[in-house]
Amino acid sequence: MIATIFKKELLDTLRDRRTLITMIFIPVLIFPFIMTIFMKVSESFSKEAAEKPLNIGIIAPEKHADFVQSFNAAPKTLGKNILVPIQDTLKMQELIRQDSLQFGIFLAPDFEQKLRAKTPAEVYIFHNVTEIGMKDRAEAYMDYLSRLAEQKRYSELKIQASELEPYALDYRNVASDKETIGKLIGGFLPYLFIIFGFIGCMYPAIDLFTGEKERGTLETLLTTPVSRWQILVGKMGVVVLSGIMAATFTLIGIFLSIEVFQLVKDPRLLEVIHQILTLKFILLLYLLLIPMITFFAGIMIPIAVNAKSFKEAQSVITPLNMVVILPAMVGFFPGVELNAITACIPVVNVVLSTKELIAGTLDIGLLFLSFGTMVLLAVLMVTLSYKRFDKERNLVA
Amino acid sequence: MIEVNHLRKEFELTKTQRKELDTKDRIAVAVDDISFTCQPGRIFSLLGPNGAGKTTTMRMLSTLFKPTSGDIRIQGVDAVKNPEEARRLIGFLTGSTGLYARLTPNELIRYFANLYGVSKADYEPRKKYLFDLLNMNEFQNKRIGKLSTGMKQKVSICRTMIHDPQVVIFDEPTSGLDVITAENIIHLIRDCKNQGKTVIFSSHIMSEVDLLCDDLAIVHQGKIAYQGTMESFRENMQTPNLTAEFIRIVHENTKS
Repeated sequence: MIATIFKKELLDTLRDRRTLITMIFIPVLIFPFIMTIFMKVSESFSKEAAEKPLNIGIIAPEKHADFVQSFNAAPKTLGKNILVPIQDTLKMQELIRQDSLQFGIFLAPDFEQKLRAKTPAEVYIFHNVTEIGMKDRAEAYMDYLSRLAEQKRYSELKIQASELEPYALDYRNVASDKETIGKLIGGFLPYLFIIFGFIGCMYPAIDLFTGEKERGTLETLLTTPVSRWQILVGKMGVVVLSGIMAATFTLIGIFLSIEVFQLVKDPRLLEVIHQILTLKFILLLYLLLIPMITFFAGIMIPIAVNAKSFKEAQSVITPLNMVVILPAMVGFFPGVELNAITACIPVVNVVLSTKELIAGTLDIGLLFLSFGTMVLLAVLMVTLSYKRFDKERNLVA
Repeated sequence: MIEVNHLRKEFELTKTQRKELDTKDRIAVAVDDISFTCQPGRIFSLLGPNGAGKTTTMRMLSTLFKPTSGDIRIQGVDAVKNPEEARRLIGFLTGSTGLYARLTPNELIRYFANLYGVSKADYEPRKKYLFDLLNMNEFQNKRIGKLSTGMKQKVSICRTMIHDPQVVIFDEPTSGLDVITAENIIHLIRDCKNQGKTVIFSSHIMSEVDLLCDDLAIVHQGKIAYQGTMESFRENMQTPNLTAEFIRIVHENTKS
């Protein structure tokens, strides 16, 4: 009987346009869409920022001609520049705010004197941080000018630059690329799975319980010789499957972005992603996702059963999204680690376990603690769902 | 046969319901000590004004609600103790019956046949008989959502009868339907009687009752205000017509 109900509910759900959109289309398209937008926007910004000729304001007495002439000798990689003499810093700040100048340089009045005395000479660089990439270009110019001044000073002092470097520092990263990338961006993947797992459950949960009650089909179903728990399990199975399918389609979207649309250009990153997306990773991911999505379904079903109308159910379940999003975002914070405590916090445990799984540093004991916690919570929520579903007043509109 | 003895149904009122009803009572009695018997091959009507307790009684008969006290026996099966077994014997139809709009009549009938445990051997001839009888062959593969009200009602009838139930419960079956669609239901009720099935239907339309039923009970404020055969009801009328007599009985039994 459970299988009969499950099959019918699945067929009914797969014919619902709203469910198809939230379960298949959005999850498949979201990752390629985000990736494309991100790549295109960042590419165009960095290209524009790198190619844009710079109007650089300068406040400097004429005797600092050396400093000014260094700009003309700047390498082509720094881009074209036009030096604009400015009278005072107030005017310079105003022109930078208007983007007439991209940045401005103010040499202190005792600049020359300090250079001669071989003490640090103050140079004030004015920039607008909201103009993306301009600070980087200002820094590139100033690095170049500083290096020129350093070389001049070394030759005046008749010393080699290496003589002032007592240590040859060499930092070696012991973490693998997979671990580094896993820890840095590993929080993003479980976030997507959790959000779409939740959204994927939403419409079927409301439709199969509140919707049926509203349309009068639940009453008919309950007069058939099928027990209420069988009806609940059959329907709940479809709600859980919808959530899992939404998460699966998110995974397919990631696969399409990488393998078909080839949106990841960096070969090092691509190699790491291939190392991450293994069959073992996918199986362990589902080990965590299945009880978590059952837990989500178990939260939604009692609400859907209690609600008198589709609208009422929607207005209660939709804000729950936020309750799920917040713990799912824990994965973005560096320093929050999977331990015996976090493994017992629902959603947080799945995010952190997946993050560790991606980084290849997952402790198997903590994985099972996370899994056990989610299974326990899922069982509790299924029991609660049954209790609500068994109440007469919740069964008829 | 349906045997109902001292049936009572209480509902616990929520805070909101108490406010809406302007009462301090925590319990509302919807059905209070109702007893009756419906015989095979006869049509029993449960008549009463809105809110009399008809639908609650019908929902208890179909085991959707559990009685607070009292017995229900469907073809000898204790419907309170063995609700699933009792449901196997029942066909239940209401005027507000919903259908799955995204399924076709074929898919829906197959689904309910499976739920009622109709064997493969019985299913095909039964389906053919009902589809022919109700002229459903033309639209059997169209989505139910695209069908007219009359077509949908035919699907509902087919759904109710696919497992050939011995007891058929109709809860205000013609409510909200147009005359032509309502006529299909009237035919169905008569057919059920002719086939020797036990038929119970609730209504507040006296003309429908007059047309169909053999026995009737008038329910008012959860209690039975009148019970007897249609024949004796007509014979003992104190007013010129059936509707006036129904109103007289209801007024006579209204609690102040």
